[in-house]
Amino acid sequence: MGAPPSGKGKDSGRSVRVIAGREVAFDDDGFFDDFEDWSEEVFEALVHASGMALITDRHRQVVRFLRDFYAYNGRAPLNNELRKGTGISLLELDRLFPGGLKNGARRLSGLPNPKTCS
Amino acid sequence: MKKIRLCVNGTWREVIIDTDTVLLDLLREDLGLTGAKQSCDRKGQCGACTVMMNRKAVRSCLARVADLEGADIITVEGLGTPDNPHLIQEAFVLAGAIQCGFCTPGMIMAAKTLLDASPDPTLEEIKHAFRKNLCRCTGYKKIIEAVQLAGRFLRGEITPEAVRPGPDQGIMGTSHPRPSAMAKACGTAYFTADYRIRGALELAVLRSKIPHARIVSIDVSQAEKMPGVAGVLTAADIKGTNILKVQVADRPVLCKDKVRYIGDPILAVAADTRENAEAALGKVRVQLEPLPTLGDPEGAMAATAVQLHAEFPNLCFEQPQIKGDVQAALKQSSAVVEARFKTQINHQAPLEPEATIAYWEKDDAGGDDQLVIIGRSINIHFHLGMLQAALGWENMRYIEAFSGGQFGIKIDVISEGIAGAAAIHFKRPVRYIPSLAESMLMTSKRHAFDMRVKLAADHQGNLTAYCNDFLVDNGAYHSIGHVVANRALLMLSGSYHIPNVQARGRQVYTNNPWGSAARGAGPPQANFALDCAMDMLADKLGIDPFEFRLRNSLKPGQSKSTGRVVKEWPFPDLMEAMRSHYQRAVNEAAANRSGKLKRGVGLGTGAFGIGMPGDTSVAAVELDPDGGISVYAAAADPGEGNDSMLTQLTAQFMGIPLDRVRLHTRDTGNTAASGPAAGSRVTYMIGNALINALEQLKAAMQETGAKTSEALEAAGRPKRYLGRKKNEDAGPLDPKTGQGPSFESQVHGVQMVELEVDTESGKVKVLKMTTAVDAGPVINPQNLTGQLEGGMDMGVGFALREEYVAGKTKDWKTFKFPSIRDTFEMEIIIKETLRPKGPLGATGVGEMCMVPTAPAVINAIKNATGVWICDLPATPEKIKAALAAAR
Repeated sequence: MGAPPSGKGKDSGRSVRVIAGREVAFDDDGFFDDFEDWSEEVFEALVHASGMALITDRHRQVVRFLRDFYAYNGRAPLNNELRKGTGISLLELDRLFPGGLKNGARRLSGLPNPKTCS
Repeated sequence: MKKIRLCVNGTWREVIIDTDTVLLDLLREDLGLTGAKQSCDRKGQCGACTVMMNRKAVRSCLARVADLEGADIITVEGLGTPDNPHLIQEAFVLAGAIQCGFCTPGMIMAAKTLLDASPDPTLEEIKHAFRKNLCRCTGYKKIIEAVQLAGRFLRGEITPEAVRPGPDQGIMGTSHPRPSAMAKACGTAYFTADYRIRGALELAVLRSKIPHARIVSIDVSQAEKMPGVAGVLTAADIKGTNILKVQVADRPVLCKDKVRYIGDPILAVAADTRENAEAALGKVRVQLEPLPTLGDPEGAMAATAVQLHAEFPNLCFEQPQIKGDVQAALKQSSAVVEARFKTQINHQAPLEPEATIAYWEKDDAGGDDQLVIIGRSINIHFHLGMLQAALGWENMRYIEAFSGGQFGIKIDVISEGIAGAAAIHFKRPVRYIPSLAESMLMTSKRHAFDMRVKLAADHQGNLTAYCNDFLVDNGAYHSIGHVVANRALLMLSGSYHIPNVQARGRQVYTNNPWGSAARGAGPPQANFALDCAMDMLADKLGIDPFEFRLRNSLKPGQSKSTGRVVKEWPFPDLMEAMRSHYQRAVNEAAANRSGKLKRGVGLGTGAFGIGMPGDTSVAAVELDPDGGISVYAAAADPGEGNDSMLTQLTAQFMGIPLDRVRLHTRDTGNTAASGPAAGSRVTYMIGNALINALEQLKAAMQETGAKTSEALEAAGRPKRYLGRKKNEDAGPLDPKTGQGPSFESQVHGVQMVELEVDTESGKVKVLKMTTAVDAGPVINPQNLTGQLEGGMDMGVGFALREEYVAGKTKDWKTFKFPSIRDTFEMEIIIKETLRPKGPLGATGVGEMCMVPTAPAVINAIKNATGVWICDLPATPEKIKAALAAAR
């Protein structure tokens, strides 16, 4: 459905940035425009840019689960599904990524913006 | 109370019942026979509750049970079952007379009564028998054909087996019955209000009766003491953002400090029964301080106007479009016409009122319980996200029930927000089943457009320039508002080549009902102006409007108003297909203009974009143990036939029988997030994602030789694949020029209206409408023609009758819902130009049929009478006034 109007109203739309040597399109909220644009290298570059000091196995486990879940189901998991799938408590999951699960982990994993119409 | 003995579907029953209870409520609430539907607030206006009583068709909402001692009642459930259907049910399925299915049980019972009494009814007898049964989807044509087919079945002239397409007739291009049709015909398809939950709370909602006010105080102390009341829900009780955001965060679940339109929700009372909730609502005391009303966009843009939303200016969106040099072109043009066109606020008018069920499912692993919402959404995953944020509860699931039409209205969360909030607040299951009147108040409407237009041509009759400066009445909330203005600009030049364009779309907040998606969403309004101006200009140039349109068709290699060059444009072929029909119609009209009844012919065209820039979709498929295919895609089907589309595409592509395709489309828990059933996108976007998934599966099966899931997995390959569709063109229109990306394809249409105007009364009688359409290869002809017929009927209503006036339009009578008495002859011409990027070459057709209709009707009125009606709807009063002014 396109991006929301800002101020007097123009679609600001998507932005394209070069990350880890490849062009990646993002929407207004910083979510990947295309699930397929994600790579380990892009993920690491984004993580460092977000101010996270270290990528741990926990982070990679969550990202892998999110991407595998989406690739299989075509949707993002609910938190309970994420908890069951990773064995990590919601409290820890929410603290792992800046911005929490939806705006942090999901965004860095290349999943679509939950706010997009499609 | 009274004790009554009556026979229902062959079983004698004894009931003790309030003397005011009507048969519909006995059937639905007490006996669980939910085939008969409630739409018109028990006013006897819609016929969705029709049952057979003592061999006569009765509207069960008007029949008091206390008067029915000894009555013999037959409901649709008593006629047949999906495994053993009655011949009338078979006929409705095979004739393609079932779209959303909400009116179907009533229609079938009306048919049963008619055919019992008159085995071979005339057309007039059918129209008389169905005069009180309303349908929004079909335009009644296929319902009439179903009754005629049922008559043939019952008379033994033909059997269902002889009509039902067999395996030898192929998959694509064949009218295989919709997978969901028989359940709808037998009353076993569950619509939201059909679900019963023991112990559920029922809701009643207090809504503003004035358009703009500050909420000064709310006193619920007396209401809370009323019998059966569990409590009162206000904005303060909602844990999340309380905002239902589509594009802009402006619409609250429940209003906190202000109300902004007639119908804005203030609070909800929850009680053990709907009656108790409503009684308690009467005890709520709310003090509102009226604020100045923004009645129209121009007033709302005035410097002195109050600002409706603190965070957003009243002029909330503005997008110009500039192609070429209009001013220079106007100076050099031989003929210019100038006019102002207005369209009305209109209700989309699905027959089913708004409804939501919310209940809890326990999480066995110890997490939060899951809130399950059952409703009418056409975008379950997106709406789930909206609800999670608004209500502050993450563990949630949305299930799309069978849905009684929607026509754009369910692009938004409506009753789900309040129902979900109440379920969370009271930690109880909740049913929120509003009346029709409340449903009309709470839902979005078609935006009103106010368009100032200039159209110019050179001396040879070639279009040179087009200006359209349009204001869109956004109403109180944004919803998808600017998308509607953008869609109008994306399709602004319609079917034509216009080298110079200067347009501006502005969207303005007012205190009117909030606008949102409505079949076509923008182009039907904008195209009304363009295609009427085409006739005005043809008239001025002295060129026949048919030849003028054909001469100015866009051609491959030329560009639309967005500057995008098109590669395919089969519009001229459609015009040629219409030529002989047009010549006949013109001749017949000319011979029928001597008396007070003047006959006219009008044309309208449309090029409706399919595959919005930037749109994406996904669909998952899985090979089953028996070699069948399961499809997992949230492709809502409020009546268009998306179940047919998914099934037939899958069967065709995989070479398997239709009954080996299993659809999973309604639950966020097991579907891919495929996007909305909006913008005529389902076939093109979700169909393409489906084909992409099937391509992956098919390749794996071919490479391994596997034919079952077990064999495929044994060969080391997955049995499940996710398909994607991503449009190549993306991004917004240029903010200064409105040039930029465009749709991947178009569905093209030409419509011709033949009508008769009574020059004394101003009444218009549509005699015939002919539609030529090219939507690519046809998947299911009945579904395609069903969309076109219903769209023609809706388009005529938009052009001549329908208008939503807040506070006045409150039922189907005041809405002027089209009945079978308003039907007219319809003829459809189909062309099938392959669209290279479409799923098996197809596009989509659900909205195109609304785009040319209004201008075709208005052009025909002008052709008949010589007067222009530029302000929809063209009511008899307006036509009479125009004729008087012309005299």
